[in-house]
Amino acid sequence: MNEHDKIRELLALAAADALTSAEEKQVGEHVRSCIACSNELEAWRPIASELRRLPTPQPSSWLVQATLARAEAKLTEQAEHDWNRRVMIVVVAFAWLLTIASWPVFHVVSGRFERLLGPQFSHTWISFAAFTALEWLAGGVAAVMLAIRQRGERRLV
Amino acid sequence: MAVDADVVRLRRGDLNALSELITRYQNRLYRYLLRIVRQPAEAEDLFQQTWLRVVEKIRSFDASRNFDAWLFTLARNLAIDHLRRIRPESLDEPLANSWHSENVADRISSKDHTPLDHALAAERRTEISEAMAGLPMIYREVLTLRFEDEMKIEEIAQVTAVPVSTAKSRLRRSLEQLRDALEARYPGGTWQ
Repeated sequence: MNEHDKIRELLALAAADALTSAEEKQVGEHVRSCIACSNELEAWRPIASELRRLPTPQPSSWLVQATLARAEAKLTEQAEHDWNRRVMIVVVAFAWLLTIASWPVFHVVSGRFERLLGPQFSHTWISFAAFTALEWLAGGVAAVMLAIRQRGERRLV
Repeated sequence: MAVDADVVRLRRGDLNALSELITRYQNRLYRYLLRIVRQPAEAEDLFQQTWLRVVEKIRSFDASRNFDAWLFTLARNLAIDHLRRIRPESLDEPLANSWHSENVADRISSKDHTPLDHALAAERRTEISEAMAGLPMIYREVLTLRFEDEMKIEEIAQVTAVPVSTAKSRLRRSLEQLRDALEARYPGGTWQ
């Protein structure tokens, strides 16, 4: 491809102001000495000009308001969701803290029972593990039930 | 690049920022969607979906990047998914009907002075918008991004997810096809 053909391919882009400064310079120099390319560039200009002046179709105010209302509702819902998640993290952390803190208390209490009931009762730690598992199982079931209910409510909305 | 204050506020969940962004981008975004799908009802639905997607994804958006390109990329992805689902053929094939619904008065620019100028300008815009509506989707898209949204080639490449060289050649081909369409539709007219 010779210089003339290369420049010819750039003319549409020149009318679209989409050339690099080096290409722009190259086209400018060539067009000054080539009448055919100069005419071709002039033929592209009204097309580019009319494209820039096409009317902008505008969305109705109803559409903008409806979009704003839906987007705001979504933003609020997300904020609530984030808040619930933060609360859940705090609650879980607190539950673990309580569980760990209750170990020594449980040990002391069960030790007194052990003394009352006799030497056979020495399953303190097994009992404690069972107690903790039961607590967490109850918590898990409650969380699943709440999630199912929340999903049902969202469907209704 | 300056960080958009409204975008930063929206990331923090500010409802006023959302309202300001919608107001600022409403015309450009709606026009872009309408150019792609050509049906006002579909463009309206996609307009709403785009803003809901913005709210959903705004936290993953890097505020130091170009919000325009990000917004138009979201809109584009939704529009293309929509077209694939509803009219897969429309991604490649031009349609005969026109997308524009403006009346003649809308098309008249204040720069045109006499009634004859007005009439001629309106006619030329009708011709060009009809020819543009007949182009395949990727060409309509690149034309509207360059000439109506005044995006740079780099931004167009970002929105359309192609290399800069591809965006540039796509723009050139779209102009060539538009000119061919104008010359074919209006032989002997002012486009030759």
